Amino acid sequence: MSIKKTKAWRFLSSVKLAIWLLAIIAVLSLVGTFIPQNEAPEFYIAKFGQVGQGALSKTGLDNIYASWWFILSLALFSLNLTVCLLNRFPIRKHSMGTIMTHLSVLVIFIGAFIGMIFGEKGLVKIPEGEEISYFISKGKKIDLGFSIRLNDFIYTEYIDKKEKLLVYPVKEGSAHDAHDFSMAATGETPLAEVNAEVGSESGIAGTGSKVKILRYLPDFVMDMSTKSVMSRSNTPNNPAIEVELKGKGGDTRTFWVFARFPDVHKGPGADYKFIYEWVGRRPKDFISKVAIIKEGKEALKKDIRVNEPLSFGGFRIFQSTYDSENLGWSGLQIVKDPGVPVVYAGFVLLITGFIIIFYVNPIIQRR
Amino acid sequence: MPSLYLNLSFGLYFLAMILYTAGLFFSIKTLPFIARIFLALGIIGLSYYLHMRWQVAGRPPFSNMFESLVVLSWSIAIVSLYIDIKYKIKSIAAWTTLVSLLALGYASMLDKEVAPLLPALKSNWLTIHVLTCFVGYAALTVSFVSSAILLCKKKEDKGLDAISHKMIAFGFLFLTLGIVSGSVWANSAWGTYWSWDPKETWSLITWFVYAIYLHARFRKGWKGRAAAWISVIGFLAMVFTYFGVNYLLTGLHSYTG
Repeated sequence: MSIKKTKAWRFLSSVKLAIWLLAIIAVLSLVGTFIPQNEAPEFYIAKFGQVGQGALSKTGLDNIYASWWFILSLALFSLNLTVCLLNRFPIRKHSMGTIMTHLSVLVIFIGAFIGMIFGEKGLVKIPEGEEISYFISKGKKIDLGFSIRLNDFIYTEYIDKKEKLLVYPVKEGSAHDAHDFSMAATGETPLAEVNAEVGSESGIAGTGSKVKILRYLPDFVMDMSTKSVMSRSNTPNNPAIEVELKGKGGDTRTFWVFARFPDVHKGPGADYKFIYEWVGRRPKDFISKVAIIKEGKEALKKDIRVNEPLSFGGFRIFQSTYDSENLGWSGLQIVKDPGVPVVYAGFVLLITGFIIIFYVNPIIQRR
Repeated sequence: MPSLYLNLSFGLYFLAMILYTAGLFFSIKTLPFIARIFLALGIIGLSYYLHMRWQVAGRPPFSNMFESLVVLSWSIAIVSLYIDIKYKIKSIAAWTTLVSLLALGYASMLDKEVAPLLPALKSNWLTIHVLTCFVGYAALTVSFVSSAILLCKKKEDKGLDAISHKMIAFGFLFLTLGIVSGSVWANSAWGTYWSWDPKETWSLITWFVYAIYLHARFRKGWKGRAAAWISVIGFLAMVFTYFGVNYLLTGLHSYTG
């Protein structure tokens, strides 16, 4: 009796099994989108209690896509596909498309498997000015064979056109008790409107004086002992701009204007009221300016951005994270995945197969 | 930026929907014809709006929920018009135009401000990924409408079944292109082509449901009602991929919310 006539073979090549496996994998995947995956045990304890965490960890529900039963269902699915493909031999012309789509899924799985076995991946945090020559992947130290030096990390933000410094006249009697934004609200026209971008300046109407934006700090703090100012973090907890006011005679004063505390800058600009209208900035670019150093010599310089990785020596290096406190370091993801070309070949096969099944075959059949 | 063309298209879609619906009750031959013209003008208006937005923003207009809904409404209207011209089934045209109108109506309630592009979206893949996904969504929506009408009817309707099947074949191809382009993009932005992010996972679930539809149909001979039910389930999975993941789950795509 040929193997193709056995019960097991017929079961493994049945469409029924295929449909069931598709449904089972879909449901298992679905569960994984509702239970947060790969979090620390403390996270699950806080959310589901001690017992819940234990159950999740034991069943693998906290790491579904790598659990033995998920992998088993994928393995069964691959076996199902393989047997179905073997059944298609000898290949006939009209089944080309079907063979391609089904083979493509196997090819993609093989590519993923190659990546799992031979691929390496790790995150490195490089402080500005320093270099690294290895990373940790799967608990092992991987030598790059070169080193990456972070020359500079640059974070830029979009500044909305509505984010402005407004200069209002101070009327007698209304000096400081006039409430912050009420001036703008009552429709009084500002004497000057300056875009909040560093460097922008404007004359104050009818006075011959000028204002200029010198600096921006998202989270202003002042060291009381040294009187030096800095940003505590990159989070806009206390956005402030440093303003330079140049009088007609050339006398200059600089002071800080705070978005959250419009009354603070009393001393320096008593003739005017300064309002900093802060809008909320959005990230524009994360740039790691790196140099590759090989055998003591600088081999390459490049700006790594999101969507613009650096490829060197078989590794790809991605902008991944950054120091949101002080912009002092950059987090780069280093990846080596020899499975990618195989996966991409699978993609091409899949799409070509579909086009043949849905659009080429019907044309041939019509003839 | 002004939303004149957005509102104009909304009005045109509305008129088209009314006329298509009227066409269901009164057999006046010119009704669907005029509806078709209104729908076509609505599509042109929306195309112009998207074009203007592209110019003003200096980037493709596919970066937030508002923009994606406009693209969705635009693509559903195009697929709907094509199906109407080709098959002339009034009930499908009326319902798909309504869906398209609802998408646009929902969009107009959201923040229309032109925001600059986040670093993660600055890529040529954005246009390819969004357009393939939305053409797929549009076709699968038309397939859903056709299946739902079929399920509401007492008699089996082979025409509706065939349209549903055709739209699934087309939509499945574009859904695949959408997933593949997203995967290639993820690999070039983050170094992983698949990370089981909720949006990715749900797009795969949707893909699996339609894979089941095609296998049940080709190999098990499921047609009519049985097939229509799978098409409805697939559509629900698609809707969850599009909205549910954004509003209920967090992940790599959460900036689109």
